[in-house]
This record gives sequence, structure tokens and C-alpha cells, in this order.
Amino acid sequence: MTDGAMTNGTTTNAAEPVTRLHPLSPLLRSIRLLLLGIAAISWQGYAELGPVGWLVLVGLVLLCAGALSVVSWWFTGYHVVGRELRVYEGMLWRRTRAIPLERLQAVDVVRPALARLAGLAELRLEVVGAGKTEAPLAFLPLGDAVALRDRLLRLATRTPHVVVAAPGEAADTAAEPPLRVLHTVDNRDVLLGQMLTPQVWSVPFGIVFVGLQFLSENRGWTLIGVASLLTAVIGVVQVPVRRVMQDWGFRAAVAPGGLRLRGGLLETRSQTVAPTRVQAIGVTWPLLWRPTRWVRAVLDVAGYGAQEGQTERQVTRLLPVGDVSTARHLVAEVLPGVDITALPLTPTPRRARWLAPLAQPVLGAALADRVFATTDGRVTRQLVVVPYERIQSVRIVQGPLERRLGLASVHADTAGALRAVAAHRELADARVLAAALSERARAARAEAARAEAPDDPYRPTTAHRVTWPPEVPVTGDDQTPPTAA
Amino acid sequence: MSTRLIWVEELQLLLGTGSLVLACAVAWLVLDWRLLGLAALVLAAVGLVRAVAIVRAVRAWGYAERERDLLVRHGRIVRRLSIVPYARMQFVDVSAGPLERVFGLATVQLHTAAAASDARVPGLEPAEAARLRDRLAALGEDRSEGL
Repeated sequence: MTDGAMTNGTTTNAAEPVTRLHPLSPLLRSIRLLLLGIAAISWQGYAELGPVGWLVLVGLVLLCAGALSVVSWWFTGYHVVGRELRVYEGMLWRRTRAIPLERLQAVDVVRPALARLAGLAELRLEVVGAGKTEAPLAFLPLGDAVALRDRLLRLATRTPHVVVAAPGEAADTAAEPPLRVLHTVDNRDVLLGQMLTPQVWSVPFGIVFVGLQFLSENRGWTLIGVASLLTAVIGVVQVPVRRVMQDWGFRAAVAPGGLRLRGGLLETRSQTVAPTRVQAIGVTWPLLWRPTRWVRAVLDVAGYGAQEGQTERQVTRLLPVGDVSTARHLVAEVLPGVDITALPLTPTPRRARWLAPLAQPVLGAALADRVFATTDGRVTRQLVVVPYERIQSVRIVQGPLERRLGLASVHADTAGALRAVAAHRELADARVLAAALSERARAARAEAARAEAPDDPYRPTTAHRVTWPPEVPVTGDDQTPPTAA
Repeated sequence: MSTRLIWVEELQLLLGTGSLVLACAVAWLVLDWRLLGLAALVLAAVGLVRAVAIVRAVRAWGYAERERDLLVRHGRIVRRLSIVPYARMQFVDVSAGPLERVFGLATVQLHTAAAASDARVPGLEPAEAARLRDRLAALGEDRSEGL
């Protein structure tokens, strides 16, 4: 793999040579397209061309694809320079991307089914600000991927050098000595949990409803009718099925770089999230899970999981299914000292019923020691926990009806997708809450800055800062938009 | 806020709603559809209501620079107050549309890492906008941390 510097003219002045991806990568990435192409040729071509012509054509296609893969493989590579990962790609449109590791939010090792067969893995780095996952390194041998992930995490979190297992011998379990398993989810629970979803429950009703319609119209079962019904069922059940696939064999553990969350049936995914990167934690308790007293917990990491072609931001599961005490344990692991069953939640006044007739009794907000917590939802109970140091801004919003009732809502904005809203508080209460939130957020930031500061002598401070060039007034109208006054 | 912002907003409304009303009215005269004439009337009425609302809405805008954070208040019907710490600032925009430029105004917007953060201060004199921008930038530098 490490067979020397790349020949594409990029300066590789660092000691470390550029590493190429696994030679099979382009093939694996384009195998579906390739098979489709061959199928398309065979569809009509086989009869017209005859066996020899067909073989020649397929051979040509394979040759072209192979040549392209070799070229793309040759020009793709990565290496670590200082505290930066650089990724080189492209032959005609060359791109070098530098990713500062301090800004890394999370690292995933993803293994699609085919890659697993070949013993390969994809490394995905999550950085804020990018629409999609930055620099997916697909594919690397599993051992290399794991070793690189551990190395990047070490660089990112500045933890002292930890001895890891030699690359290559690491098995699927990513065998590192200091891995401490927190919780493993029983696959039966995953299955049962997804059975207890509205989507699955709606299927029999849907089928009965459609069947009755067919019978009443005396048209009998037509092929199109059955096919469309099947398509509809598949469409509805898709979400639970995908969840089962994702959460199969789920395991949460503590690894050197942070929390290690792993799961997946066909495509396995091993995510590493540093606790300091968690913007918020959400705990939901769906209606159908009440008999089993199960909850689902998710982590909100900035810029996470935004896949190609998918604009909606996603959250990472912390616990796909489990009881409250497990969730409490896991949340306490991410945010030490936070107990989701003992939050000092205060209720909203009764007159908030006018605005939230169902949810009013469960609306609550808590200013805990380290976190701000809000609850919402009568049918699907939901708890959102935001650490103070992750709060970006605080807003008080008062709608016209709220003004009539003397109520207001307080929003704590984070860089994530979960929303912490203390809805319909007493106006005075809301003001106090907002002031307390911004004050606590400031204190938490200062605390975090102090904890982080000592080992960086070049951190700029207000006390002594070098100004260069000296004495250039920064203020001026040169950059303001021109006016025609 | 400068009271000229009222004029900017009113003109914007006039251009937006006015052109729609005009289009409806012309179409009504040409095609002789009653519905179009009604639509023009309704649009004009909505425009008038909004024209009155704008005056109040602009007067409701306000901002305060505190030691550690910027307060921005706006909205008359839905009232909003944003508290944005300077330390959380990612970047500052100073923008001015064509109408704003004619009236010599500019808008300053503070962006944080949270998309929901809402700290926009419209209708500033260019000098005041520049001062606010520089002050925000200077204060943000003291402790830049991103997330």
C-alpha cells in the first residue's frame, strides 16, 4: 500500500508518503453500475451479437472499467501532515483536501456488505459545514482503516499516545485493549421494538381496507392491484426494516477517542463520537413502547450523517431500544453527572392548555447543573438535553396568543438538529430562564476554555496580543456598501 | 433603527404587492374574469394592512450591545428577543439591497454555528453598520472557538 509518493506533482514534503486506497475500491464502488451495464448489453445484445460478439463486448466494457479504476486508484490517496489529513483525488480535476483534525466531529468506519466480503472498510470523517460527509476514504483494508481512525482520533483529541493493536490483525470487533463495553442491545428487542411502530401496525389495516374495496367493487384481484399494494406495503415498512438493519447487534462502548457505537446487519457501521462534540441528547418514548417501557436515545452531532442527496440532518443513535435505566446510564456516560430521571423539571402554568391542549401537563424545562433540559409531547414523550457549553444563542419568542396569555417560549439554539424549546412559560419565568441560560452558557464556555488552554502557548489572549502590521486602523468605510445618499 | 427603514420596507411592499395587484387588474380588464378583480382587491387590502403593520414592526426593531452578548429584539405580532454571545459568532455580514442603498441604509447580520440563531439588525446607517461590524468582529476574536 505505502508504495511511495504520488506522481501527480503534489508536494509531499512531509516525511509520510501518500497512501493509496485498496486497489479493489473503484471496482467495489462501481460494481452495481457495471453489473447494470452488462445486464443492459445482454438484454438485447445477446441475441443479435451471438455468444462471441457478446463476450467481446462485455470484455471491452470490463477492460474500460478496469482501466478507469486503475487510473482513479492511482490518483487517489491520503496522508497525515502534522495535525491535518490530506486527501488527493482526481486526474483531470485534481483536488487536494486538507482536513484539520481539531475540527473533526466524528469518525465512522462503515462496511457495506460487499466490502465486508472483501475485508475492506470505508472511513468517513465528519466535519461541520460540509453538506455531506467529508473525504470518505473508500475503501481501505479493515486493519488499516481501524489503525488510521485511532491515529486520527489520537491527533484530534490530543490524548497521549496509546498503544493499539497492530493493524491487520484487528478483527471485526476492532480489538483495542481499552475498549469498555457499556451496553449491548438484544437483537430480539430491536426486532420487537420495530414491530411496535405505527408503520408496521398500519399494514394489516391497509391490506384489509384495500381488500374490502376490491371485494365491494367485484373486480377481483388484478395483477396491478396486488403489485401496487405490495409496493405500498414495502414503502411503509421500509423505515422499520431499515432501522432493524441499522441497529442489529448494536453495541455502545467507551474507546480512547470517545464513545464507540457499532451496529448493522448487512452494512456495519462503527462510529466514534467524542463527548465534547455532542450538541444535544434526545430521549423519546413512543406511545407503542409504553407497555414495554422502552425508550430510544439519540446523540446530536453537528454536521453528522448528512448523506449525499439527502438534505435532512440526521442524529446518531445512542440507544436504539432499551429501558429507562439503560438510557440513564448511557446519558450519564456521555454527560457525566446528568441523570435524566432526576432532572429538576418545572411545569408550565395551566393556562398553557389553551395553546397545547394535550401536551401542557408534560411540558417542562429544567436548569440542571450542567445541562438545559426540556420535555414535550403527550403521545410521543420527548426529552432534549443540551449541555450549557454547546448553546449558541438564546431566544425568547412570544406569539400573539402567548402574549394574550402572558406566556413566552425560550429556545436554546445549538449547531445540531435537535431543538430545545421551553414552550409556553410564564413571561417573567421565561425572562429569568433566558438570562440564566445565557449566563450559564458563558460560564460553561469559560470553564471549557480554561480546561483547554494550558497546553497551547500560541493561543491568542486579550491580555497580550501582537498587532501586525502595527497601528492600522481597522475601522473605516472602505468595506461598507456604497451608498447613493 | 432609522425611520428611513420604514420607507424601504414600504417601497418593497409596494413593488411586490403593487405589481401583483396591477397584473391582476390588467388581466381582469383584458379577460373580464370577475375572480381576478376580486383577487386584486383582496391583495390590495392585504397590502394596506401590511403597510400599516410595517410601521409598527420597524419601530419594534431594536438591538443592544452588552458586555458579552448582543441583544436583538423584533416583531410586533410574534415578539422575538435573541441573545447572541459574541464568542459564538462565526461571521458577520453587512449587506445593502438597492432600495436600502438609495436610502443610505445597511443590514448587519451575525451568524453563529446554529442555523436557528436569529441576529439581524436592519436599517442601520452605513457608519453605524461599519462600527457595529468592527466591534462584533473585535469582540468575537477574543475567544473564538467555533463549536
